[in-house]
Amino acid sequence: MISVQSLTRVYGSHKALDAVSFEIQKGEVVGFLGPNGAGKTTTLRILAGYLPPSSGTARVAGFDVVRDSIEVRKRIGYLPEAVPLYRELRVEEMLRFHARLHGMERERTRRRIGEVLEQVQLADRSSQLVGNLSRGLRQRAGLAVALLPEPEVLILDEPTSGLDPIQRLEVRALLAELARRHTVIVSSHILPEIEAVCPRVIIVAKGRIAADGTREALVRQLGGASHVRLEAVVGPDVAKAKALLASIAGVSQVVDGGRVGIHHGFDLVCDSDLREDAGALAAARGWALRELSWRTPSLEQIFARIALSDGIGEASGGTGGSTSGVARTDAATSPAVALAGARLEFELRATPATAAAPAAAPAAISGAAQAKPKVVYNLNPFDGGARRDLGKPKAIDGGSAERKEP
Amino acid sequence: MLGFLRGCSAIWRRELAGIFMGPLAWTLLVIAIALQGLLFLVYLKTSQGDVDLALRFGFGESWAFWALAALFPPLLTMRMISEESRLGLLEYLLTAPVSDAAVVLGKFAAATSFMALVWSSGLLHALLVQAAGVAPDWGAVWGGWIGAVLVSGLFCATGLLCSALTNTPVVAAFGAIVLHIVIVILPLLSSLTEARWIQEAIARVDVLDHHKATFLVGVLDSAYLGFFVVWTALFLYAATRSLEARRWR
Repeated sequence: MISVQSLTRVYGSHKALDAVSFEIQKGEVVGFLGPNGAGKTTTLRILAGYLPPSSGTARVAGFDVVRDSIEVRKRIGYLPEAVPLYRELRVEEMLRFHARLHGMERERTRRRIGEVLEQVQLADRSSQLVGNLSRGLRQRAGLAVALLPEPEVLILDEPTSGLDPIQRLEVRALLAELARRHTVIVSSHILPEIEAVCPRVIIVAKGRIAADGTREALVRQLGGASHVRLEAVVGPDVAKAKALLASIAGVSQVVDGGRVGIHHGFDLVCDSDLREDAGALAAARGWALRELSWRTPSLEQIFARIALSDGIGEASGGTGGSTSGVARTDAATSPAVALAGARLEFELRATPATAAAPAAAPAAISGAAQAKPKVVYNLNPFDGGARRDLGKPKAIDGGSAERKEP
Repeated sequence: MLGFLRGCSAIWRRELAGIFMGPLAWTLLVIAIALQGLLFLVYLKTSQGDVDLALRFGFGESWAFWALAALFPPLLTMRMISEESRLGLLEYLLTAPVSDAAVVLGKFAAATSFMALVWSSGLLHALLVQAAGVAPDWGAVWGGWIGAVLVSGLFCATGLLCSALTNTPVVAAFGAIVLHIVIVILPLLSSLTEARWIQEAIARVDVLDHHKATFLVGVLDSAYLGFFVVWTALFLYAATRSLEARRWR
């Protein structure tokens, strides 16, 4: 259905897309995932026939997006991120205009307008001005417009951005329904959106494809570090306990998770679920268990790792090697590093203040994360100093907070 | 070809709806109709009852006509491309199955048909005169109207080009108005110089004279028609290319 070969797009001196290639079969639902500025939108715009590629080819339903642009555009429903609709038109008028652009007959137009409005649950708003719709409703109106000519391919750029959680759920449900009938490409930088809807995920970073495959395949291929988490009171001899845990058949490595109160945490890196073995060991040794759980890295952690490895590449002055290379080698050679990356990511999200001290995280990664303090350059003459750390609270009365610090 | 026309007409209808849904169109119409009506009375008085002369004033012999012709099209076209680009609507329009040329042509047709409506007030004056018992020279009236539409078509095309070149409607309008003022005062420049070749060069591109010499007196000359068609097409082509160039930026 969609065939993309070494697609490259350059904006001035900036390479937004660098030799991207992928294939999408008819009926597939593919999620485009990547941090902001990774090249997702550029790819989708090229597929939609809006931007011409600098080099490389892209074909949709057998038509080249540059040479047979009109034929391609007839077959796609494209919803840009900004959801551009004519504000001064009513929802129904907007749909009718779109039908006219597609050259749909009157009878079919009427039928389809009724169907798509029903589909996106906007039937009761059909005579409302598009400009008066809320963000979520406008998003749905945009979806209705994209769906109207019954396109073979649906291209949705960040369909959930700017929506509240409930609207997000609604759009997600709608996407799941659409996935049954169309070939769908969805882009997002929010992983749960993608994970919930798309069986296949393409992770883009810095204009390259960092990973491509089904969710399970990606977790298997890049995750590496599934582990059993064990927290127990192991007594004073931690090293001995660690050695004991490492002796369990199937455990490839034990990562010391540090002391939590009277308990001590361990991560047993292993391929299969070894909770029972670990539990039996704990019972035999009389350790008071607090936690025993089987953890596999989620797609989110893999995504975070790719995004983080991005940061590492920059922090160390770009030691060479593509982003994808960094991500893969990390995962393959050192499960501990991968584990730490995942944990770091979690801590960054949970409590930014404590992220500075991940006990077991290898210095390389925590260092990379710390190497970039959030510094803003401030031109406000009344806001003392040209730069300050955003992590620290700013005192209102002229920096007394800084003075208190040792 | 059919698809092209279909896209054109869809965009033409949308743009006309857009024009009339804002307050601008109605303001412009009121200004034009009031001014032209008022001036028609003045013309009638100064021409001492010569109806044809008075009508000719309304269709191109007066400065008021050229002021309206130069100022109105940029106000109509300024938002057509620049604002849509800013609002992201171009991304919508240029991913629909219509060619760039159809987009430009549809927008151009919308602006020009609005101007045709503006100039129709002159037709109304002719009708009124006829009702009052003096038959005007209808050939000259229609000729003047067609000429006026052609002139505003040309100015709409330049306005559209300016709109395609920038992302700010005000800049587009300003650029187009400056260009139109230059076009309108070009004949004055030729009276400033003695050089024969400059005068001839100006005569070649003199919009005012091309309108006044034929259409205004009721003559449809294909060469003069060609003059307007070719220049308009040229500016529309430039606007299309500039729209295309946006994709490469």
